Amino acid sequence: MQMAASFKVWANRFRFRISRPHVVMGILLLVLLVALVIIPFLRMVHDTAVWQEADTRISRAAKPGEWTAFHYLRVFSGRLSAVIFYRPLLHSLETSLAISFLAMALGGLLAWLVVRTDMPFRRAVAVFAVIPYVLPSYTLALAWLDFFKNERVGGAAGIYQYLFGAPTPDWLAYGFLPIVITLSLHYYPFTYLLLSGALVSIDAHMEECGEVLGASRFTILRRITFPIVLPALLSAFILTFSRALGTFGTPYFLGAPVRYFTLSTTIYSNIVNRTPAVAYISALVLILISMFILYANQRLIGSKSFVTIAGKGFRHRLTPLGKFRYPAFFLAFGLILLGVFIPLFLLAWQTLMLYPNDYSLKNLTLHFWVGKSDPALAEGESGILRNLQVLGAAWNSLELSVLVALVTGLTGIFIGYVAVKGRKTWLAAMVEQGSFLPYLIPSIAFGAIYLSLFTQPVGPIPSLYGSFFLLVLVCMAKNLPFSARSGISSMLQVAGELEESAVVAGASWAKRFWKIILPLTLTGSISGFILVFIATMRELSLIILLVTPTTRTLTTMTFRYVEQGYAQFADAIIVLIVLIVVAGEFIARRLGKREIA
Amino acid sequence: MKTRFFVLVLVTLLSFGLASPSWGQDEWLKKAELGSYAPASVDEKQLYEKAKGEKEVAIYSYSSRVHQFAKTFEAQYPGIKVKGFDMDSAEIVTKVLAEQKAKNYVADVIFLKDPATAQNELLAKGHILTYVPPDLKTVIPERFQKPFLTHHVSLDALVYNTEVNKKSPVASLWDLTRPEWKSKVLFPDPLKMPEFVEFLSTVVQRAEEMEKEYQRVFGKPFQLSKDSKNAGYEWILRLLKNDAVISGSTNDVSNAVGQPGQQKPPVGITAFSRLRDKEKNPKLAFDVAYDLGPVTGVATGVVVAVVNQARHFNAAKLLVRWMMGDEKGERGYKPYFVLGNIPTRTDMAAPKGSKPLKDLNVWAADPKYVWDHGQEVRDFWLSNLK
Repeated sequence: MQMAASFKVWANRFRFRISRPHVVMGILLLVLLVALVIIPFLRMVHDTAVWQEADTRISRAAKPGEWTAFHYLRVFSGRLSAVIFYRPLLHSLETSLAISFLAMALGGLLAWLVVRTDMPFRRAVAVFAVIPYVLPSYTLALAWLDFFKNERVGGAAGIYQYLFGAPTPDWLAYGFLPIVITLSLHYYPFTYLLLSGALVSIDAHMEECGEVLGASRFTILRRITFPIVLPALLSAFILTFSRALGTFGTPYFLGAPVRYFTLSTTIYSNIVNRTPAVAYISALVLILISMFILYANQRLIGSKSFVTIAGKGFRHRLTPLGKFRYPAFFLAFGLILLGVFIPLFLLAWQTLMLYPNDYSLKNLTLHFWVGKSDPALAEGESGILRNLQVLGAAWNSLELSVLVALVTGLTGIFIGYVAVKGRKTWLAAMVEQGSFLPYLIPSIAFGAIYLSLFTQPVGPIPSLYGSFFLLVLVCMAKNLPFSARSGISSMLQVAGELEESAVVAGASWAKRFWKIILPLTLTGSISGFILVFIATMRELSLIILLVTPTTRTLTTMTFRYVEQGYAQFADAIIVLIVLIVVAGEFIARRLGKREIA
Repeated sequence: MKTRFFVLVLVTLLSFGLASPSWGQDEWLKKAELGSYAPASVDEKQLYEKAKGEKEVAIYSYSSRVHQFAKTFEAQYPGIKVKGFDMDSAEIVTKVLAEQKAKNYVADVIFLKDPATAQNELLAKGHILTYVPPDLKTVIPERFQKPFLTHHVSLDALVYNTEVNKKSPVASLWDLTRPEWKSKVLFPDPLKMPEFVEFLSTVVQRAEEMEKEYQRVFGKPFQLSKDSKNAGYEWILRLLKNDAVISGSTNDVSNAVGQPGQQKPPVGITAFSRLRDKEKNPKLAFDVAYDLGPVTGVATGVVVAVVNQARHFNAAKLLVRWMMGDEKGERGYKPYFVLGNIPTRTDMAAPKGSKPLKDLNVWAADPKYVWDHGQEVRDFWLSNLK
């Protein structure tokens, strides 16, 4: 009897627990995460150890569907392993490391100048410093080619040759050096944003204490300032490193001409050359490296933390730069010029040139924007604003970005709701942690995972390959960490009593959500929406393996044009993307009356 | 909760909406009149009427000139739009395989190089079908109708700069391995362009002739390095050891070779049909080395086929017929009626200035040999890259 009663109590309690909206939602979100991240990942691992259809060409022993170690042997110990794996691995590591350090140096310097010194025009510099992040990551690579391209790969040489009369040396035009420079100029805003946040919260008293005790400027920097900002620096390092590892466009455009391949570019070429399992193994290696870095970071930061915001008075002291005020400003200004304005100017100029290496005024044309098809130019392709393929791609891009921003943003709010309402339950913790998983998987590897899973039916779901919906799914999954973070932080600002009073008044959950939670979190989430919109608009690495002719986006069109050697078209599309992104940000900002954080 | 539910319903609906209707294999063949149901004759007007109902036709093409014959097709057959997609041959195979698996049939017609792969991975598995327009059956030799329709044969050969050289500065393929041509030989990337895997495989297949040629050129017996199996591989190895420059496209090769004002211009292997570039840009100065030993070049087929379960099969047939052109090399064939492309229609005159095939010393790539050995050749190439 007693047992039955206690069971009833337990069952009731269970039913109560399970029926609370955040629990139901948490379970649904967990299922979603498993479906979007865990299952695709496992599927890819499975495919590395199974004969693929395409293997019938490589090996007569291939029996599609059966287990084999063939791919692992080919990658790690075969005759080709140096070419298809070890050398690209080395290139990936050396570029990503160099990019991280250079980007951290640039971003750190800029953050210090803006936050802690009396450099003039600091506000303006602060506004422009984050722009590179908004541009597609390979904008600079294309601009670099316009300037430094030499005749090695055929076609017209760049401006450098025109100015100096000599061909650009290969090491300057292609490979390691340009990849590092262009990507550092793209990724430094990560460090800038994180570090300026950390620097703002340092009380000048701490440094003054050191000064009073007779420490030199350098010692203060090394023993006080640096340790405090170390956690921010480390996060900046991870963010930059994992992004650089997974990016595809720049290493491909600047590396391929001299056969400087990285893991991300070999993933692409292995998919294109129809050895997908080999690509999946490279993707797996990329994921493992990312995970290792994150783990190492947690070990490092875990033991160190400082309370910098205390109850006492807090004040800033700006370091006077003295006679270096203007030189410092010109340095910061030059960085922005190099990272944003010069490349965009070069690209825009290039789109107006009829023949690529003719710099005379009469060579200027609007053909690549509005020109009609002319068989003598670019095999008869018409200008991009007239070109149905480009316009179709522009529509796809817009549709994709808006849809992904909305769906991801909404999911982010749900995650925030579950995480905040269910604080300290294992379910909330799982959802919160799980939503960060996609972050660990480099973009190109994420695309490879989805390719491996969705080219065939999965259970009741038919094969999604070639559908627009698949692009939405992959972009949503990859951007989940950002929107989850903004969802959680905006949900934290909404006091629980607001919803509770509605509960008392008898409002249904759906009504509470639409009338209270959504409106209140929306303003907080708007920056998340914009971020995802921008990220999707300029995305290449993530979707390059998944687009089909009918689902082409602007970024993949650019890629196609670069491959065919039509620089003007490629550059014109980039300019178009930048215009759309800027317009999107402007509109969203007017709507939300808030700036991007 | 409603939102969740709504999203779920949406997802389910979407996923069902994606699967396009597909017929049973035989049913579709019968309906499309393909395979064993292909009729003995086709009335163009009737076909056009039926095709008009389909409104459009999608083609995946290895060549960007797809947009040119698409335009003339649309002018000839109003009411049918051509969606032409231009991509690499390997990509075409990948996409068709994926579409077949996904039952999401986007492409109706494919137009690609690499007959070996098309035959073994697509045709043999029923993913594509051969359609030879009935009225052309008598004018196209049997070998270009089976196993599939060959649109034209293209040649890859050596080009040299004619501004600096009166005649070709190299007389033999083996000359390219000499020190004086170090870093001065351009070769298109076989990992990007399958026809150059065919080129290399054919050289390997003809190892005996390569060996004889070696003795003729160097006047000493041929010696094998330990890495290579025969004289064909040895040639590839020495070419790479001589720092051959690997180019991204055939266009890049002809531009680099033909650029005027060079002191010591390079030579390069490229598509014979690049000679057409000279008409667009008269400044380019290059020509094909016809008297190269042991062979002028390698001939490879370009395939056109209808995709299994194509939704616009009538328009697809009409398009294939259009692409095959008329006896003057006009209509849909026009963009390909250029020097270096050999029409498979025997009733079509060769383009102006071209030598008849029988006067050219070429090796035809053998799709079976390429299928059996192509990967080995690619791996050999890859493992000997610097």
